[in-house]
Amino acid sequence: MADVATATVLFDAAGMKAIGAGLAVGLTGLASAIAEKEIGTAAIGAMAENEALFGKGLILTVIPETIVIFGLVVALLIS
Amino acid sequence: MRLLQRLKRGDDSKLSRPRGHSNYAYTTARVHAMKSKLLPKETYPRLLNMQIDEITRFVGELEYKEDVDELARLYEGVDLIEHALNRNLAVTFTKLLNISEGEVNFLIFQYLQNYDIWNIKTILRGKHCNASTEEILEAIVAAGRFTYTFLSELSAKPTPEDVIASLSQSEYYSILKDYDGKSLSEIENRLDMKYYEDLFRAIGEPKSKDRKLYSEFVRTEIDLKNLTTLFRLKKYRLTSPEMMNLMINGGLKLKLKEIEKMMPLSFEEFVAELANTPYWDDISDCCSPNMDSFVDLEAKLKKLRLKSSVSFSHLYPLSIVMIMDYILGKQNEVNNLRMIIRGKAVGLSDEEIKNQLVI
Repeated sequence: MADVATATVLFDAAGMKAIGAGLAVGLTGLASAIAEKEIGTAAIGAMAENEALFGKGLILTVIPETIVIFGLVVALLIS
Repeated sequence: MRLLQRLKRGDDSKLSRPRGHSNYAYTTARVHAMKSKLLPKETYPRLLNMQIDEITRFVGELEYKEDVDELARLYEGVDLIEHALNRNLAVTFTKLLNISEGEVNFLIFQYLQNYDIWNIKTILRGKHCNASTEEILEAIVAAGRFTYTFLSELSAKPTPEDVIASLSQSEYYSILKDYDGKSLSEIENRLDMKYYEDLFRAIGEPKSKDRKLYSEFVRTEIDLKNLTTLFRLKKYRLTSPEMMNLMINGGLKLKLKEIEKMMPLSFEEFVAELANTPYWDDISDCCSPNMDSFVDLEAKLKKLRLKSSVSFSHLYPLSIVMIMDYILGKQNEVNNLRMIIRGKAVGLSDEEIKNQLVI
């Protein structure tokens, strides 16, 4: 009986939702970071040669932010 | 695992792949931006219509401004442009080495070692023919491992033996020490062979698609070099099998066995035999049994090489092949500018200069 009680506490629905929401934001955040790292370094490289590319570089760098925004939306839907 | 690989490679540890992060995204983006500054093909006809002074001014306003300004107090006219072009080439390629890291740096470095070999060959040839230090320095491009200061010191040495003694710490010394005053061309061939051997060792067994393309890029270069050498040999009726030691192993579409078969043929037979090779379609219109000059042919081969490297770089824009394409493009731009300037200086007609250009 004690085990069932412990399991109920461990796998509490609200807790699982919170973990799911956390994972959704956390993992998508990591994915965005990895994508932005590559694009950001490339943008810096292009800007080092041609300063006029700053605007384009900035826009391209933040495009992967959409991934974490989707993660946030999913997290909000879950919770 | 790495230790095991290093032990297996033994003496080749110098060529083992560097550890650490490779910044392909940064380097290729920067190189893309640099590539956009190369002269467009429409510029060359305009340059042909200009006088030498106008060309000097035009070149001084381009990417070469800093080099022209820097060298203006030492040289003037055509010499100034020649030195500025060489300096710019060296600065640009050194910059590629400085901005790249890890594997991409290693591969660029291996490719640019041909400049070290070029410089050693130039200095040795210069010393062999008693050329002045100034004349030798005109042809030096310090784009490899050796700095311009070191190369100028080498050029100032009185004899080829002194030059070789100063290179006793370099990896080329094992070949250079066999120089006996007569064997210069043999030494040059061995240096070239060593360059390609090292490059192939650096590429290793290509597994990824971009590495395969890099390997193809190098092997196409070998094919075209072998073809050029073959044409020249045939023109001078040299058919001895000993000439095979001038050929570089590792070509993509022209294997050594096929070249060996072509070696005893006369020029006419050789041209007929070429029709069976994959390069025939590209060179057939400027290739005939009674051709006198190889200018068109060589320009065509260079064009073919540029074309193939551009298509490779479009296939894998975030890889080493894109950087190689830029290196070729830059070399070609400098060659074209040099040809226009030198051609104008010696009074060649615009048509003759145009035929030499690779656009």
